[in-house]
Amino acid sequence: MSNTLRIVLITGSVLFFVFIINMVRIKKLELKYALIWLLTGFGFVVISVFPRTVFFLAGMLEIEVPSNALFLCIIFLLLLMVFALTVAVSRHACRIKKLIQELGLLKAEVNPSECAPADRKKDQNLPE
Amino acid sequence: MPGCHTGQRKGAQVSGAEKMHSRNTDINSRTLIIIPAHNEEKNLPGLFRALKNTEGDFDIIVVNDCSDDDTESVCRAHGIKVISLPVNIGIGGAVQTGYQYALSHGYDIAIQLDGDGQHDPGYIPLFIKEIREGFHLCIGSRFIRKEGFQSSRTRRIGIRFFSFLIKLLTGFEITDPTSGYRACSREVISLFAGDYPKDYPEPETVVTVLKNRLKVTEIPVVMKARENGASSITRIKCLYYMVKVTIAIIIASVSRRRVVTECE
Repeated sequence: MSNTLRIVLITGSVLFFVFIINMVRIKKLELKYALIWLLTGFGFVVISVFPRTVFFLAGMLEIEVPSNALFLCIIFLLLLMVFALTVAVSRHACRIKKLIQELGLLKAEVNPSECAPADRKKDQNLPE
Repeated sequence: MPGCHTGQRKGAQVSGAEKMHSRNTDINSRTLIIIPAHNEEKNLPGLFRALKNTEGDFDIIVVNDCSDDDTESVCRAHGIKVISLPVNIGIGGAVQTGYQYALSHGYDIAIQLDGDGQHDPGYIPLFIKEIREGFHLCIGSRFIRKEGFQSSRTRRIGIRFFSFLIKLLTGFEITDPTSGYRACSREVISLFAGDYPKDYPEPETVVTVLKNRLKVTEIPVVMKARENGASSITRIKCLYYMVKVTIAIIIASVSRRRVVTECE
């Protein structure tokens, strides 16, 4: 591996790591969800500083080309993350639905719709 | 919130004198008509007129699934109670809101009726009779007498497939599992209030009810082709519909649950 590439990779992964920490610092990313990204960033830094780790990993899994070992790990990690996100989205969709229903029911309780004719007029004029 | 008013059931007796949309719904009424509506301002007035001419003692609630048109003010103008959802959550979510309302207000029977004019309210007394006779879910079927609007040929094939699948998985013959014209008992109201699929819910919920060992029956109804507006199932969504509903039926048939809690 050329030194230039190595420097680029190290700089890139360190910047990525700093970027994520900064996102958490300015509260744009919740620490709960940032943990996995911090871990990933840390992994990038380790791999770019000590590329031998990938060779070691490939040897252990008996994969001939080290880059394939790297791809395997990263794809596996990505699939896990996407799946976790799908689970989170489903949970949120369920909660949002429940909130909307509760809000609709409460609105109907608080503001009964058998309203006075004056209100009715106002309502009918609204869309124009 | 649902479930906290169950004690009111004892006082729920039909008063006879009380006609539709009475204010003191909690004590005097037993039957609720749930009308899910999304952009149905053109169809609702005719439906309300028909409902006013229908005999029987019932309340009406329209669940307005965030319509873009005047659905809400049309309901108000006719003095019909309406739940307006702030965000569109789909037919399943809207219907479920109706069941939650029915549960929290202690209704004994809930009848679900589409807001698009396909369902003739004249059958309401028949539905009520079936539920009073001890059935938990009563479905209005187009295919018992094969009269009226029979849907397109491709759809009938799909519906027959679902019928076959339900028969295979539960052993019960349901001729029109996709019908959205149905009546529920208290047990089914609380089941649906707790858990109801978001889209294309009908066939799946039949299986859920059957799997909970509740009694399902069908009565023959005549449906009309919709008057205004478009059906929610377009040709593009057809494949998704078939796949989703098939999987949903299979999953519903392998899960035997009585008390359902949604999103933990």
